[in-house]
Amino acid sequence: MGTHAKLSRRLGAFAVFLFLMVAVLGFRLVDFQVVRAAEIQEQSLETRKITQTMSSLRGDILDSSGQVLAKTVFRYDVNVAPKRVGPVFQTIDGVRTERSVDEIAMDLSQLLGIDYGELILKLEGDSEYSNLAKTVNAEIFNAIRDMNVPWVFFDQFEDRLYPMGAVAGNVLGFVGSDGTPLAGLERQYNTCLAGIDGQETYERSAEGVRIPSSNRTAQPTENGGALNLTIDANLQFFAQQVLADTVNNLSAEWASAIVLDVETGKILAAAEAPTVDPNDPAAVEGADRGSRIFQAAFEPGSIMKALSAAMVLDTGTADEFDTVTAPDRMQLDFDNEYIKDSFSHEDFTLSLAGVLRYSSNTGMTNFASQIDRKVRHDYLQKFGFGSVSPLMFEGESSGILHPVAEWDEMTNLVTTFGQGISVTSLQMAYAYQAIANGGVRLDPLLVESCLNEDGTVAYAPTQQATRVVSTASANLDLELMEKVVEFGGVGKTAAIPGYRVAGKTGTAELKDGSGYGEEYAISFYGIAPAEDPKFVVGITIYKPEGVSNSSKATPPFKAIMQQALKHYRIPPSTSESRSVPSNKYGEVDEND
Amino acid sequence: MSVYMVSEKDAKKLKPSLMAGLIFVLGIVAVLIGQISLNMVLTQDAYQLRSLTIEKRNLATDVQIIQEEVSSLSSPQNLADAANMLGMVANPASVMIDIDNDKIFGEPAPARADGSEVASANLVANSALGTVSEFSMATVASGELEVSVETANLASSGLVLQSGLIPASPTR
Repeated sequence: MGTHAKLSRRLGAFAVFLFLMVAVLGFRLVDFQVVRAAEIQEQSLETRKITQTMSSLRGDILDSSGQVLAKTVFRYDVNVAPKRVGPVFQTIDGVRTERSVDEIAMDLSQLLGIDYGELILKLEGDSEYSNLAKTVNAEIFNAIRDMNVPWVFFDQFEDRLYPMGAVAGNVLGFVGSDGTPLAGLERQYNTCLAGIDGQETYERSAEGVRIPSSNRTAQPTENGGALNLTIDANLQFFAQQVLADTVNNLSAEWASAIVLDVETGKILAAAEAPTVDPNDPAAVEGADRGSRIFQAAFEPGSIMKALSAAMVLDTGTADEFDTVTAPDRMQLDFDNEYIKDSFSHEDFTLSLAGVLRYSSNTGMTNFASQIDRKVRHDYLQKFGFGSVSPLMFEGESSGILHPVAEWDEMTNLVTTFGQGISVTSLQMAYAYQAIANGGVRLDPLLVESCLNEDGTVAYAPTQQATRVVSTASANLDLELMEKVVEFGGVGKTAAIPGYRVAGKTGTAELKDGSGYGEEYAISFYGIAPAEDPKFVVGITIYKPEGVSNSSKATPPFKAIMQQALKHYRIPPSTSESRSVPSNKYGEVDEND
Repeated sequence: MSVYMVSEKDAKKLKPSLMAGLIFVLGIVAVLIGQISLNMVLTQDAYQLRSLTIEKRNLATDVQIIQEEVSSLSSPQNLADAANMLGMVANPASVMIDIDNDKIFGEPAPARADGSEVASANLVANSALGTVSEFSMATVASGELEVSVETANLASSGLVLQSGLIPASPTR
């Protein structure tokens, strides 16, 4: 065989080999690029893709002027990996220094406020995890992070901060350590406050570095909305200060104060003592972690008389000049029962204003019992008693207003002066708001709105108005109530210099088993300025020690009402109250 | 396939050009360098992005620290304690001035430190209170002096308008 033939055969074989190689590679290429392209791409993406959850922030709770009552902050758990604990070498200004474990532990113990010996024990062992401290604030976190210790690491999490502490803590409620809302508005308005966690994916290189522009947002993060309250934090704080002082001085079980804006029906303050600091709810008893203004019902006693008087006027049963005989003890014609006043006196001849001024149970019974019981029951319902308010505050009590068919003879009479019925402070304050607002009761407002992060309104409450009594009856009732503050034995202590004040005292005996005992719930509910009502302030003090009349309820009323008038720049009254018969003879008082 | 025998002269003509080879190799090198550069830039951007993200997080932490300090200092509890430390007492006797009608409403009266219904020191719990106002003894002492002088002046003047005009402030 010649040289050419050999060369040609080898070249031919090489060409065939080359062709086969190209064919195989081509086949693989088509297989990878076309047939299995999607599958391979998917596998490739899976190895590069990282999915992470972007936590949404819970919304703020703000007072009526935008002051923050609750907000979300970050807190940190400080952990170490004992297995990796060792000296730390650092180069500062070109100088290599070594920090021993003891030095680092000393710094950590100071920053975290942990005993050095205790901390050293936590650094020992072969584990990868040991917790040094939980829920440290950002300042301490920063200080520890700046130490650059490689075996110290952190877990960041969201926490709820209430910058004003117990101010409005009773209505705000609180959240658990895992962020779950547990009480109050935090729970009731969780839909508004809670955000929606987002989800984001990105790709990273083999070295673990994020590849730019590889971000894909699967679910955008939506932070929670801002809940705007009608509460005025400054007034709320002032009222809580006054109540804390009152409870301390009287050794009372609790006290509450509610301040309403008459014209809008907004709750400006809903203060209580004792109350809860939502930053540390465990510091108080369970009973003090809610809001008694909404949740606690009590027999109101004589503060009800102002409402019974409105019924008497509105039904035309009597006017301001009509009188009844009011003995200090009145025998009833059934079951050997009787009604008596809180003090001994000869038979008085009392007008409606006189009944309020002397807080006469017998007088009020004689006036109001002339009204059909069904009519009075309807009035009580329209005043808001016996039902939960549209606020639907968590655990809100409806009080007790028995159906009229269940009223026995005694209940029929005693409801006129606040027995046989139980009410919440909220209900009573709004009944007074109706009197102050020309006979129209407005639905209570505690939440102004919930605003989304972009400022759009997610929720705004609707408010209804209920006509309870006529404007004329309401205004006349207010004038009668002024006589309580002008001439009443206890009522006089509620007077505010420069302003016309209308109000009513209440001293309700508390039930002790089947009868009434020696403990009281004392109250004062008042309105000012009487000629153009702006505020209702309702004070209730529960079980004050050694107190059997409402004289201790008027100082907190006076202080809080005075503060509200000053705070909202309400000019003092320029007119005098009208002369109305109010003395024990049914005549105009000589000083009136 | 055919094989041709050529002369040495023709073979030299067929020899690949060195220049073309050089351009080809340099081209490949240039493309590789370009690719590496692009890669470096992209990687650098990734590191810069990471660094900026960390910086942003640290700044957000600093903002939170400052906000918490401000919240604590502006909380009513701290303000009440600070006011109390300076000897201030809440005065409920407000006096209103009606500019349009030249009238003063209310009777000015000095605040009483012993007013049991008006507690100046804080009584409302706040476990979130961190940073609080601090005063040196000198500041507190001068604060007390100011209060006593102001109260005495108010009580003696009584703010009675003789001419029916509101006195103008001497401050210019």
